[in-house]
Amino acid sequence: MSVEECRYRLRHLTAYRYSGRTDVCHSLAHLRPRESAGQELLSHRVDISPRPRFEADRKDYFKNDTLYFEILGSHDLLEVVSTATLIRTEPAEAPPLPATAPWDDAGCRGLAREIDEDGFYLANFLLPSRACPDHPAIAAFLAPSLVPGRDRMELACEIMERIFEEFTYLPGVTDTSTSIATVLKTRQGVCQDFAHLMIAALRHLGIPVRYVSGYLETIPPPGKKKLQGADASHAWVEVWSAETGWIPFDPTNKLRPSVRHIKVAHGRDYFDVQPLKGLFVGTGRQKLVVEVDVERI
Amino acid sequence: MPSEIVDPPSSAVPPMQRLGYGALADRRDEAVRLDGGTELEWEALFESVARHGPGVLPEWRAVASRISRERGLAYRSASVEEGGGSEGWSLDPIPWIISATRWEQVETGLRQRLALYDAMLKDVYGARTLLRERIVPAEIVLGHPGYLRALCELPPGGPVMGLGMSAFDLAKDSSGSPFVVNDRFDCPFGLGQALENRTVVNQVLPRLFRRCGVQRIGQFFIDWFDFLQRRAPEASELPLVAILDPSGEQDDSEMGFLANYCGILRVHPSDLTVREGRVWIKALRGLVPVDVLWKTMPGKDLDSLESESRGQPGVAGIFESMRTGGVAVASYPGTALLQSPGFYPYLEALCRHYLGEDLHIPPVATWWCGEDPALVYVLENLPSMVVKSVGEHRAFETQYGRRLSQEGLAALRERILSNPRGFVGQEELTITTVPTSRSDLLVPRGAVLRAFGFFDDDNGGRILPGGLARVSTAEGVVISTRETGESKDVWVCSGIDLEPFSISSVVERSLPSPPDIIPSRAGENLYWVGRYAERAQVTARFAARILDGRSRGFSRDAEFEAAHEECLLRGLFEVFECPAELEKVVDADARLNLVLSESGCPAGLVWHLQALRFASNVTRESWSPASVRAIEASLGCWERALASGEGPFSYAIHLEELQLNLAAFLGLNLDSMTRDEGWALLDAGRRLERATLICGLLRFLLLSEEGGDRLTLLNESVLSILDSVRTYQRRYHDAPATVKTLLLVIGDPDYPRSLSQIFARLGEVLAKLPPPAHHAPPAERLGPLVAKLDRFVETLDLNLAWPQSRNREAAAFLETARDDLAALSDHLTISYFSHAFEA
Repeated sequence: MSVEECRYRLRHLTAYRYSGRTDVCHSLAHLRPRESAGQELLSHRVDISPRPRFEADRKDYFKNDTLYFEILGSHDLLEVVSTATLIRTEPAEAPPLPATAPWDDAGCRGLAREIDEDGFYLANFLLPSRACPDHPAIAAFLAPSLVPGRDRMELACEIMERIFEEFTYLPGVTDTSTSIATVLKTRQGVCQDFAHLMIAALRHLGIPVRYVSGYLETIPPPGKKKLQGADASHAWVEVWSAETGWIPFDPTNKLRPSVRHIKVAHGRDYFDVQPLKGLFVGTGRQKLVVEVDVERI
Repeated sequence: MPSEIVDPPSSAVPPMQRLGYGALADRRDEAVRLDGGTELEWEALFESVARHGPGVLPEWRAVASRISRERGLAYRSASVEEGGGSEGWSLDPIPWIISATRWEQVETGLRQRLALYDAMLKDVYGARTLLRERIVPAEIVLGHPGYLRALCELPPGGPVMGLGMSAFDLAKDSSGSPFVVNDRFDCPFGLGQALENRTVVNQVLPRLFRRCGVQRIGQFFIDWFDFLQRRAPEASELPLVAILDPSGEQDDSEMGFLANYCGILRVHPSDLTVREGRVWIKALRGLVPVDVLWKTMPGKDLDSLESESRGQPGVAGIFESMRTGGVAVASYPGTALLQSPGFYPYLEALCRHYLGEDLHIPPVATWWCGEDPALVYVLENLPSMVVKSVGEHRAFETQYGRRLSQEGLAALRERILSNPRGFVGQEELTITTVPTSRSDLLVPRGAVLRAFGFFDDDNGGRILPGGLARVSTAEGVVISTRETGESKDVWVCSGIDLEPFSISSVVERSLPSPPDIIPSRAGENLYWVGRYAERAQVTARFAARILDGRSRGFSRDAEFEAAHEECLLRGLFEVFECPAELEKVVDADARLNLVLSESGCPAGLVWHLQALRFASNVTRESWSPASVRAIEASLGCWERALASGEGPFSYAIHLEELQLNLAAFLGLNLDSMTRDEGWALLDAGRRLERATLICGLLRFLLLSEEGGDRLTLLNESVLSILDSVRTYQRRYHDAPATVKTLLLVIGDPDYPRSLSQIFARLGEVLAKLPPPAHHAPPAERLGPLVAKLDRFVETLDLNLAWPQSRNREAAAFLETARDDLAALSDHLTISYFSHAFEA
């Protein structure tokens, strides 16, 4: 089986510009790409301006790298730049999905008390979470796909395809506070909404699934030069199977993630792995600018 | 107070029978033995009631409520814990009496329970053996919203505190054995209320109290504060312990009472800031480090950066500070999880697992619906079940099968089946009754006892001897903490006459008085009280001037009047820098209403008064009773005016009343407050606001492009709004003219309301503030502004011509002055309120 390997340089800028004066800012960041069998991190750094008075690194509950920092001083612009170089390797073609037990098999029910290969109870990824509550509309959405005796991974694939087909990718109509119920009603959203929807749907059936935050390398149209900052933060999901462990799915693009997907962190949903979260003391409003560049080297 | 007789009775019939008291059919009563006789510890109480004869019970109640009122206490279970608002709990002076021997059993049981839950807490946030060894299903822990994953790398133990103040609701069933019906660890309410009940009842029944030899509760609080101080992360001579109470605005919260009583500083989340691994109180004199926090808010809201809840007040970064060992927090913020009734079916096994012992006091029989056999059992017995959520107890109203109709039961069944692992079913207990006063009778009423304790790693569990009893008001069996009911003191009676022992005297001996710290939040609000009061004053005078024009008229020409009113309105909206708000409305009456009655208009009276109300509420402790009355009168009179529905023309008299009350409020404050830093900020706020408003108003006058009669009238209006008409007339004996107005209002060295005098006063007041830690003293910032003003005043000469170009020049000066004042205000904010460093 042939293996695809890619080296990347990554730059992720987040800038907050304040209309008033901001005096103090406490922040939490999930910016360092996770290392795994298919992802080797060569270098990573975070540059923050103005310079924080205090910084602390740690691993969070899900073993993601977390950076805490404090900015104490009046400022009207906060810039956080995360840069990394890394090597991604993946089989050139996604391996076939394992054959699993049917979704309606009663054996499913005990999964919560099992642990995954990293020692985490699957209950973490099976129970409702803040962004993925169990909503009645989920059952209605699932209904057409619930063919008795259907293989679980096959079902996961179909849910991914249906999200891609039945929902419109439309930036700006949703934000981090938009509920799944709203997304199910309006049938539009962005990668984060689609990941949450897929999570809620599979969890409803007792299939463990987790949220992945990261980046996706975009390929410019033929003959066009790639625009700076054109790449984006991305989100997809990983579905657990007893046979092979965690398998990634990208419902936004209806594909099995490849070398072009660079994973930063995983958790129950967006709120576990929010790239940058800050609390400000000051006056006025803030304006957010995000730029991502994923460049092959 | 009626004299209280406790001598033995002469009659042969026991007092309980004479009073007609007895247990209800099929119910056990705490005071009645199985053979119908009186329990020993209750005899003295029945004797006393019988001896006093009819009328004594209502009298005792009246005395109790009078004492409570005098102590300024509305009984409130400020129930953060229950997620509800504050509800009234009246006090029944008849205590729940428990013999010392029986209490010993309860105490032993609760000490074991504290040890058990403390071990469990360390385990769920540490090694998680309870999951690995499959003692508890993983869903019960990992699915609970109170399981704080953010803290999993920081289990309790060592410097990280575990269980802090904890509460246990105890009930007895018809067999007489005690059960725990609720465990509360996150922010249990009622401790302050228990203390308060004790204080009041002790005063109502002092002799009975002594005769029964009631165990004192003071030592418990001393031990608790001692425990908190010992947990201070750094060996400081006087560790600073503070109560972190989000209900800071309410003086009458029980935590406020507890804090005052015990001499401990109470802070609001917004008083705190986390910097470089430590937690600091933002105080006017600078940042003061806190060593230990006793939190009375849900742990999941504690760190606004890491918590999962939105919009709650919290302290950003406090978890990080706990990680670096900069602060000790009691309780551990992740304790809400342990309140889940989902643990009850496994509690026996957990007790053997952690302590190697059998559980002394069982929880009420409970079935977790996430297990199939339990689910079947609960559904089959639903009509006799109590159904609770295993998640947050706030999220789902506890359902009592017995009270539900067939449809209700069917709906509940559906609800459980939709998510079985989210629910437990519990056996409904027929709880025991205690004697309770109802008008002139003692009657049996179901009661639950809330006991309090904490776990000290060095000394084991400590239990308050007594607690808070809650009684159902009706004859019903069930007590919900959400329902309004009555509370009682709980007496643990040794039967030995004990020395009087008051908590306050003991506390004085062993605890330092709270440090003299003025939190910045209080200072900031005082500053804004000054500013808003001044804004309200000026707006009221604007409005009065406009109404004056409408009712009296300044000329005979309607068009002239309308133009002047229009001009004044524009002036007002310019002064408050929101001219666009005025443009949104066309109709003249509607425009006037913007100023008088609209709540959403930033140049309106209602807006300023609402802001004033908020800022003055936050700083209530600073006001004298007369000041409180004056501010209430100010706010009240305008609310009444608007509610009267009489319309704008009748407002003139109310405006006058409002101005008088505001003037009284400001005057009283200047007289009655101690001239400390808080006062300096209040006064600075007034001066700074007044100077800003003068600059804005004069600038408007200079740029108005009015001429002739209209300009004269505008000058008169400006003087009227600044309350300077009389002074002007005395000084100039002349019709108002712009240059003279400027001279008086800006430069007059003998007029206290002139800008130069206001600046001089502002300088004096700012000099009273402590020098900021990281910034220039604010008085220094004022210096250049004063110099600019002096130079400008020198150019004002009545003998020189005043061409139109001078208007623009003067307006430009006033514009910079206003910007400088805004910068000074920012400087005060950074130096004293937000404590930011200069970038």
